[in-house]
Amino acid sequence: MMTAPIVWKSSARRLPASEVRRGAIQIVDATKFYGSGASRVLAVDRCSLDVRAGEIFVIVGPSGCGKTTLLNAIAGFHELDGGTIHLDGKLLCGPRQRARLGSDRVVVFQNGALFPWKTILDNVAFGPIVQGTLRRADALAKAGQMLADAGLRGYERSYPGETSSGVKRRVEIVRALMNRPAVLLLDEPFRALDALTKSVMHEALLAIHARNRGTALFITHDVEEAVFLGGRVAVMTSRPCRLKKILDVDIPYPRARSIVTSKRFRDLVAETTSVVHEEALKAHALGEKEG
Amino acid sequence: MGPDAAESDVESARDVLRAILPFQSLSAEALEALAHAAEEGAAAPGQTIYDVSAPATYLYVVVRGTVRLERPAPPDGVHAARAVGAREVFGWHAMREGSAGAELAKAAGAVSLVRIDTRFVLEVLAREPNGGAATIEALLVALSTPAERRAKRAEHEPHRRRRPAPQRALSALGSYVVSVLRRPETYGRLLGYVLLFGGWYLAVDVLALPRFTKLPGIVQVGREWLSPDPVFGLSIHTSVYYDHIWASVRRIAIAFALATSLGVPVGLALGASTTFRDYVFPIFELLRPIPILAWVPLAIVVFSGSETPIVFLTFLASFFATALNTRLGARSVEPHYILAARCLGASPWQAFWHVIVPGSLPYVLTGLQISVGVAWFSLAAAEMVSGQFGLGYLINTSYTMVQYPTIVIGMLTLGFVGFLTSAIVRFIGERMMVWRARELALTAP
Repeated sequence: MMTAPIVWKSSARRLPASEVRRGAIQIVDATKFYGSGASRVLAVDRCSLDVRAGEIFVIVGPSGCGKTTLLNAIAGFHELDGGTIHLDGKLLCGPRQRARLGSDRVVVFQNGALFPWKTILDNVAFGPIVQGTLRRADALAKAGQMLADAGLRGYERSYPGETSSGVKRRVEIVRALMNRPAVLLLDEPFRALDALTKSVMHEALLAIHARNRGTALFITHDVEEAVFLGGRVAVMTSRPCRLKKILDVDIPYPRARSIVTSKRFRDLVAETTSVVHEEALKAHALGEKEG
Repeated sequence: MGPDAAESDVESARDVLRAILPFQSLSAEALEALAHAAEEGAAAPGQTIYDVSAPATYLYVVVRGTVRLERPAPPDGVHAARAVGAREVFGWHAMREGSAGAELAKAAGAVSLVRIDTRFVLEVLAREPNGGAATIEALLVALSTPAERRAKRAEHEPHRRRRPAPQRALSALGSYVVSVLRRPETYGRLLGYVLLFGGWYLAVDVLALPRFTKLPGIVQVGREWLSPDPVFGLSIHTSVYYDHIWASVRRIAIAFALATSLGVPVGLALGASTTFRDYVFPIFELLRPIPILAWVPLAIVVFSGSETPIVFLTFLASFFATALNTRLGARSVEPHYILAARCLGASPWQAFWHVIVPGSLPYVLTGLQISVGVAWFSLAAAEMVSGQFGLGYLINTSYTMVQYPTIVIGMLTLGFVGFLTSAIVRFIGERMMVWRARELALTAP
């Protein structure tokens, strides 16, 4: 019995997705010293940044400029010596006050931190199991689903040591997202990958981000990577780390690999590179003086 | 009653959503966001809401009336149709793996409904703290049929049909032996034995080298060992031989079990806690260099009988080896694994249990192999000084009673049983660290 299709009417206007997002980070005058006494070094100097909820925010700077210091302060690995960091309006950490370690901000590490003694599936299910938010069987089922969504079906029973570095990175990102973090903190996660794997990983990360829509704070010293991934790119000065410039990457998502040959992309890369290069030169000169 | 009548008592979308079970744990903002995205509709009796072939990308909530879900070709033949009543959810095939699209939804009577785009639901849930996961789980349960729920439960209990543990252990041991026999290096090792015993035979029996004249020859030892009527009263046919072996093995087992159950926790604590290390480690550094033989007098004075001092001395050597290797293992665990665990929500204790313990396992197992070796070493020494049975005692008394072939029998037996115990430890270790074994298999040249 066929009748006319049902007429659906909206009860209200749909809220734009941005309004239900979380993960806005406000860094105000963050300051951090390393060492003590005469050898005390200013690592981060009154650094202020505003990361919007749901965006991919990339921090670029020469190696050893103190980018990781900022990220570690957000993650709760160490405290600041001055300034504050707020997450969604709530104080995360302040002077001499370390942020609580928690699954609302998950770090994806430079060298990878999948547990080699757990299978891929157990690794991904780890967060909800230790937090007690899901029963073990449910956590494993959901982990399997998330792995499948990320195109990683078939790796569940493998151990990390048996898989390629690209797979490991993707699994690690999936493991982080299992916890539905407000912020994903990525500390040069693709540094050790070869160029080809890296470009595949960039697209995979964008796809994952498009699906999950969290805030991603991405640290790198690779300018092309920064421009390809970032909605905005912050260039930091070196030693001490300060905000030098923020560039808006006005290339709309979803971004395909082909944009890297576009004029706009090349212009942005050139612009960013010239700003970063200045700092790299400074760091180099500083290193020679000290060395 | 037509669609118009149904429409008149439509509750507001927000109230409907709040009332359905899976959404009960949602935050107020999330409910608000979902309510804004919800669309309302009404279906006349018999009207199709979605067809079998249509991609059901919406989550439907029944406000009033009953919806009938039909499956034209049920894979299990049991739940071909089911009814969904007021305040229940349906649709969203993508959530239910394995049953995608194979469903037809029809209004059984006059029905009023609310629907939400599932992509938006996911988006909203993603913004929820841990509750989002709970909601998805609850939705999954609410959307699946009873048969699917049963199948899912069965999927998570695949271990029930496994063979009993002893049988599994036996077949594992069997396949291990076969794999050893298949390795080419096994035969290289055999060649080593041939060289050793051949050299012995040549030196004593054939060439009779000057310094070797008092040494019992391999032929003499072999004949004594296998003789039903041995010259010196001990061979594989005498029960006293097995009494000696059993006495030593029993002491090793007790001492090794004690050393492992104390040494591993102490080692882990030494590696993981700086406070514990500060208090305890200096004592370790003071006591560890003292050779086991130097402990013998005190052990005999302090412990009663002859059994306890021997077990104590054996334990002591094992304990140090296990504890120190375990400590090294705990310290070798990369700190970023611990940070990662903490980041993912693990408590310090969970991080210890899930990261430090398995991470130090390779070192622990190396420690246990060393431990079983030094256990035999100190056992033989202790048995030579006190005790009435055991292989060390056998070797020592055979010396004083000038029964030289029996010395060699005791030594070789010691070697063989010692080798067997460390093989067992290694075998168990490899079983416990599948990840490590697989990793090594990949990196091996």
